[in-house]
Amino acid sequence: MSQYYKDADDLYKIYGYFLDRVLLDEKIGTKMSKAGIIIKFIYTDPDAEITIDLKNKPEKAGYFGTFYLGPCHLKEDVWSKQPADHSHRFWHGLENPIAAIAKGIVRQGGKVTAMLKLLPVVKPSFQLFPVTLKEMGLEHLIVTKK
Amino acid sequence: MKGNTGRIAAVDLSTGTVEMLHYPEDTYRRFIGGSGMAARLFWDRADFSADPLAPEALLVFMNGPLAGVKLSGASRMCAAGRSPLTKGFADTSCGGYFPPALKYAGFDGLVITGKAPVPSIIRIADGGLAIEEAGDAWGQGIYATNAMLEERYGKASTSLAIGPAGEAMVPFACILNQAHHAFGRCGFGAVMGSKHLKAIVLEKGDAGKLSVADGQRLKAFIKEVTPRIRESIISQVLHDFGSAGNLEGHMYDGDVPIRNWTSNFNEEMAEALTGSTLTDKYLTGTRTCAFCVVACKRVVKVDEGPFAIPRSPGPEYETVAAFGALLGSSNLAAVCKANYLCNDFGMDTISAGSTIAWAMEAWEKGHLTPERTGGIPLEWADMDTVVTKVLPMMAAREGKLGKLLSQGCAAAARELGNESIAYTAQSKGLEAPMHDPRGGGHGHAIAYAVSPRGACHVATAMHFMETGACHYPEIGFEFDLEARTDEKKPETMVLATAIGMIENSACLCQYADRSLTITEMVDLINSTAGYGYSVPSMMAAGMRVFHLKRCINYRFGFTASSDVLTPRMLEPARDGEPEGIEIRFDEMKTCFYAFMALDAARGVASREKLLSLGLADEAELIWGASQ
Repeated sequence: MSQYYKDADDLYKIYGYFLDRVLLDEKIGTKMSKAGIIIKFIYTDPDAEITIDLKNKPEKAGYFGTFYLGPCHLKEDVWSKQPADHSHRFWHGLENPIAAIAKGIVRQGGKVTAMLKLLPVVKPSFQLFPVTLKEMGLEHLIVTKK
Repeated sequence: MKGNTGRIAAVDLSTGTVEMLHYPEDTYRRFIGGSGMAARLFWDRADFSADPLAPEALLVFMNGPLAGVKLSGASRMCAAGRSPLTKGFADTSCGGYFPPALKYAGFDGLVITGKAPVPSIIRIADGGLAIEEAGDAWGQGIYATNAMLEERYGKASTSLAIGPAGEAMVPFACILNQAHHAFGRCGFGAVMGSKHLKAIVLEKGDAGKLSVADGQRLKAFIKEVTPRIRESIISQVLHDFGSAGNLEGHMYDGDVPIRNWTSNFNEEMAEALTGSTLTDKYLTGTRTCAFCVVACKRVVKVDEGPFAIPRSPGPEYETVAAFGALLGSSNLAAVCKANYLCNDFGMDTISAGSTIAWAMEAWEKGHLTPERTGGIPLEWADMDTVVTKVLPMMAAREGKLGKLLSQGCAAAARELGNESIAYTAQSKGLEAPMHDPRGGGHGHAIAYAVSPRGACHVATAMHFMETGACHYPEIGFEFDLEARTDEKKPETMVLATAIGMIENSACLCQYADRSLTITEMVDLINSTAGYGYSVPSMMAAGMRVFHLKRCINYRFGFTASSDVLTPRMLEPARDGEPEGIEIRFDEMKTCFYAFMALDAARGVASREKLLSLGLADEAELIWGASQ
């Protein structure tokens, strides 16, 4: 039972708002787009799927990439599967991704090294995630360091 | 004897004689092999009054029990002795192709003393050893030496060789195998040079069989773990981008020291120096050590410009950071050139880069003046001066600047004065590796300080444990560590110490064996060498090795007061993620000492602890005969 998400729609609402912010961000978005890959995030509890396309021309003007909430037609270059709650804490900067992979909490496949290169790039977005939650009136979902 | 051959050749270069040493199987079991057996040999046979560069000094090359097993990362070996850099017992590890070849030739190791009357080569062939004149090879760089040796002894031969820096006895000169794989640290190239030993060559024999304890079990083990090693995230990064593959990530963590440890973050450097950039711009191929499925070794070529180099072995992470960020430079071509030169001179890139970084800061502060440098300016990021003047002068110990810097940063700072020792980054005289404890993890600080050989990130498994790359539930390490605190670091360091000593004694690659559990390490060693280890007895063997090394260094004058870091390494970081955070070093050290039963003054284990590890002779020598 997820601590943070009621269902997939709830997750999509939050991540949709968040990814809008990230992929419009001049600094973060520019660097992310250099990765030139399509990433599929597969979540469990709730089951959900988000694809971020950093390879093709963004669909919307001003964006540095395109994201799809739910199953989509694109074939991913790399995939990452993890519990949705783990992802929620990760975007707060509270999870060690290397440790999560080593422990098997996060599983990955495809061009894993290309995705790992994105880790330092997305670090500034850890500050954006709680801001996003606050803007959405979801302060109760903000996780603080114990 | 299984796994090991039971034969260690003791070569006296002064007399040209060879004696075969046979240690009982139980000694191998108690000290594992590699670095542990080297420490055992050193304690038993060394002349403790001998200068590291005197003929009487002992130089040990020692395989682990696994050398020759056809598994990724199992065929490294250890070189050990009294370091000319630290003046204490030290060891250094190398992969490549020499270790399995030595095992197949019927030897676990070599113990070398004396000084040959003329520059010489030890040739190993047909199960025997001979000493031959080096001839024209003396005076040659590593690349030319390697080519000459291949021509003389055949392309299938494999060698350990020194370059001009070793011949000139630069105290951080290294030893290279096939011009690519290095016994990098602590200056054993200089020890070879002092003995007039240019190279050790193994001619390809028709051996190749290894007698192991349980062949079927070993075969099944290799079959099971090899895919896991190949597919692990660490291996994939190493394969695609080399050991600098995560430099960018390290930079964002504040782990990469910049401008002689005065900064912990530089976004431009992160991108310019990281492994994927090296791959994109200069990579022409990859190489492996024997039986490795990872292939982290880089082959690079810089086509044009002032730093052009031919196709040659490329830089590893430590070199990229030491000749890039540490000198304030983002110039990756210059890193490749510096690496090329250091390889050819046979000089450790960490010590060389760190010493130059210290000198650049000394120049900036006005402590190092044109009079002391012979008029050579040492500006940050001036890589042209570094590669055309500074490195060649250091390797040859020429000119005022070459003589000063070729001592390493600690000795150079002592000579320069002006309290410039405060801004060296070293412990026990060994320049620190390119992982800054302030950002990379506070556990590194205690690991650097208590390492018997000096500031070292591979003496223990702390680096990987602190970054979360491994967990060992079998020994109670199943918690996550917060990098920039001291929380749980001393107790983790106890485990990391034992694991590090096991890895360096079994001579395992610390990249490949991250995919193994502790239980699997036990299984691997038992099925190869038949040691009959359990998890606790293998961990105890690791502890035994650590405490023996500490006992050796106590005899060289090292005490608890030697387990320190410099003020520069402990001052709060000035920028980046670790900015302003204090390292609680004294508290960590006190706790670690208590957990390890180390005496607060002498820095060696209590009599009881030594006795519990079966180190009775050592206990008696250090603590006196028991009442």
